[in-house]
Amino acid sequence: MKPIAAVERLRLKFPGKDTLLFKDLSLTFYEGEKVLLLGPSGCGKSTLLQVLSGLIPNSIDVPMKAERLQLPTNWGYVFQDPDTQFCMPFADEEIAFALENIGVPRSEMHQRIKTLLEKVGLFIEPHTDIHTLSGGMKQRLALASVLALEPDVLFLDEPTAMIDEEGTKEIWQTVKRIAKEKTVIIVEHKIDYVLDFVDRIVLFNDDGEIIADDKAQTVFANYKDIIASQGIWYPGVWEEYTANRRRRSTESGGEKRIYLRQFQGYRSNEVKIRIEEAAVHAGEWIAVTGKNGAGKSTLLHALMKLIRTDGTYELYGKDSKQLKQLHRLLAFVFQNPEFQFVTNSVREELAYSLRLEKRKEAEITETVEGLLRQFHLYEQQDQHPYQLSMGQKRRLSVAASIVSGQQIFLLDEPTFGQDAKNTFALLELLESYRRQGTTIIMVTHDENIVKHFATRRWVIEDGRLVKDESISRQRSTAAALFV
Amino acid sequence: MKWNIRYRETWLHQTNPSLKLIVLLFLFLAVLFIHNPNVLINFSLALLLLFMFSTGYPWKFLLLLFLPFLLIFVSTASSMMMFGEGETTWFRWGLIHVTEESFLRGLHIGFRALSFALLGLLFSLTTRPVRLFYSLMQQLKLKPKYAYSFLAAVRLLPIMLEEFQTVHNALKVRGTVSHGWLEKMKRYAIPLLSQSIRRAQRIAVAMEAKRFSSSTERTFYYEIGFNKHDIALVALFAFVAAAAYYTGVHYPYIPVTDVR
Amino acid sequence: MSTTTKGLKLADILTTIVIAVIFGIIYKIWGPVYDFVKVFGFHLDQLIYGMWFIAASVAYLLIRKPGVALLAEIAASSGELIMGSEWGLEVLIYGVIQGLLAEVVFAAFRYKRFDVLVVSLGAIGATIGSLVMDFYKGYIEALAPWNLALFLIARFVGAVVISGFFAVSLVKALEKTGVTQMLRPASKEDYDALDR
Repeated sequence: MKPIAAVERLRLKFPGKDTLLFKDLSLTFYEGEKVLLLGPSGCGKSTLLQVLSGLIPNSIDVPMKAERLQLPTNWGYVFQDPDTQFCMPFADEEIAFALENIGVPRSEMHQRIKTLLEKVGLFIEPHTDIHTLSGGMKQRLALASVLALEPDVLFLDEPTAMIDEEGTKEIWQTVKRIAKEKTVIIVEHKIDYVLDFVDRIVLFNDDGEIIADDKAQTVFANYKDIIASQGIWYPGVWEEYTANRRRRSTESGGEKRIYLRQFQGYRSNEVKIRIEEAAVHAGEWIAVTGKNGAGKSTLLHALMKLIRTDGTYELYGKDSKQLKQLHRLLAFVFQNPEFQFVTNSVREELAYSLRLEKRKEAEITETVEGLLRQFHLYEQQDQHPYQLSMGQKRRLSVAASIVSGQQIFLLDEPTFGQDAKNTFALLELLESYRRQGTTIIMVTHDENIVKHFATRRWVIEDGRLVKDESISRQRSTAAALFV
Repeated sequence: MKWNIRYRETWLHQTNPSLKLIVLLFLFLAVLFIHNPNVLINFSLALLLLFMFSTGYPWKFLLLLFLPFLLIFVSTASSMMMFGEGETTWFRWGLIHVTEESFLRGLHIGFRALSFALLGLLFSLTTRPVRLFYSLMQQLKLKPKYAYSFLAAVRLLPIMLEEFQTVHNALKVRGTVSHGWLEKMKRYAIPLLSQSIRRAQRIAVAMEAKRFSSSTERTFYYEIGFNKHDIALVALFAFVAAAAYYTGVHYPYIPVTDVR
Repeated sequence: MSTTTKGLKLADILTTIVIAVIFGIIYKIWGPVYDFVKVFGFHLDQLIYGMWFIAASVAYLLIRKPGVALLAEIAASSGELIMGSEWGLEVLIYGVIQGLLAEVVFAAFRYKRFDVLVVSLGAIGATIGSLVMDFYKGYIEALAPWNLALFLIARFVGAVVISGFFAVSLVKALEKTGVTQMLRPASKEDYDALDR
């Protein structure tokens, strides 16, 4: 086989970091190979893709050097975040942007755009506003505009990290269809749909060193423990997790905390969510599910009164209209943690609400110390919240929200984009609160969470609560027995 | 701008955006040199008619847009009316001193602000950013790296507005201490700015990954040229300017020809 | 190491414009605020006028390259225009002149200083730019002298406070988040560390 991309003795260092990310890394890729780069987050896999494509140092200024570099001439790159790879507002214009860059004559563009959209399975009117597409569709559009460059090598940099299950499946189906002849180098943390596509896996450790480089099956079989410890979502990870887990105590049915009747939430004078009647009790974990745009987040916003509401809404038996500071009774965790941060350090972030409540300094210190340890943030307590890793940010946002001792948590897809390790850690933390009687209402797309953690499911459809079912415990244990 | 409002494409939408921009900027400068209130009033009325009948938007929406402009009209005019210098006193109360001269000058400034506003609206209501920047690249040789950066930013605008709302909600949920408005602004600005900086950097990399470069020749998906509407545009404004001037001078509403 | 030939890099331009558009949103919101304050009279409104120069200061402090102050001010005012500013086309012209004069100040310091003094001087430059326009448009020289003096003092003071001091503190807070690191070029020490 002919080598198509290679680095020899690559050294690379991020400005401001003390250590080198790569120290004398050598790696060769061959024509037609499908390679998966695996490793813990922060080990430099994405950086390596950027070096192999030449984006480092041509577009991103990162100090690096190598004894030998072989870069492919025709390559395409799909990035992680669907919202930061487009510069044009409409789908056809975005693909046209790539065609313009390589000087395709205008007369050929319309036909090419049509063909490319069909190739990635996007059967949309070409002049469609990109905002109206789902995450999975956006990533397939990104793929289409990359294919416009007619690349021999495809770099896929966690293309499904911010995509739900359904979209993930579609993206990989598309890749498998279009990339048969191409060299594909993939960085991914969710490998359920990737494993049967790749023929080689390169496994990295925390220090950016290669610990395994072999046939996919061989690496996956021999290094499964390491892969698991790195937080990778691999097939069967949930089954293994639930098998090792203690059996859940499932009894709920404590005091009534929330009561809703003909409760409605409005956005710009339109009813966007309606609940005929529902009561929520202590110790319940309600998973709110439904399609994108069905009104799940709106429901949480209505409960938090971030939008206008009417109808009956009682908290602890009191009319919510008479309760002022709702945020002392309900903890609200947003989807993007960063928007919630208001201070310059992890420690201050946790103390913030307590300071507002004018608690005593000794009490604040005690509570904060406790949470720092419980949420595994002790080492990071002096860091700026923005400088934390994804998982740490998420834990901090939860810890900072619940610091006032609220007994009801509202969470908007808190495990979204998190790796397996962080997801399980967070779910465990929430479960420990639930066992002590906390009520959890959580929007999620993940059926496994519904199955293994929720005690009850609300299905939202077109802004209505259409199904309210309790999740029977047997299923959870059955899943455990199955493994 | 994406108003998410249905509109009808009018002839103004089909004019060449660069030409439209130049014509309107020229009119803007011309208005600065009109000191005769009669001419200015005529001109403003003509713009108002165009705004109402040639932008293709529903009445209710146009009215909603127009309300703040009336406020500007009043506030711009009143300050000069009450505090400007003049000789023929109409009214005096403490520091407030309304004279005939200051009143007319105030009125004139009010109409001037109104015509600026209408010129701006005529442009932004009838120009799609993509067409504008393609035209600027093709007719005025704007460098592509500037043009596409503007377009990327326009694309991010709705996302940023959404984020603004999220930050607003988050601050509500976290509870806030009042530290004064500058401190409060910082609370909003930090998450929005840092998010945007990261986004901008990533988009730039993604664009270059798609072989965007300033050194190679590029083709254009949209070719923006000139057509009969462009002739109509120039002719119409030449006529409007001439008519406003002629009627303003010969059939004045106010017996004043210069407010200075 | 960069491949771009001359002038600003795509990433610099894009970042400048995107943050400027955020300020464009603020500029737009600032219109009604300004009108509201105006009701109180005595040119209190002029104290907050300086907000309309902040894009130039912040972009200069963040990107630290020639041309970004002007570009930011133009982009912010275009954003304001696109969102349907009450002032219409006027904002674009004001933006150009304000940005240009702020840029002149930064150029006078050869784009080497990024402190409160320079940025405040830049804000004063922008203020002068806005006054040039006001002179043509609003006949401000015809205001009673006491009134004109009050007007000028309020605008200059407000500009220095908002687009000088506040802009610096805003960027300092932003630097703490670590996000500004990607805007600054890698140092020679970083390159040297590769050989260790």
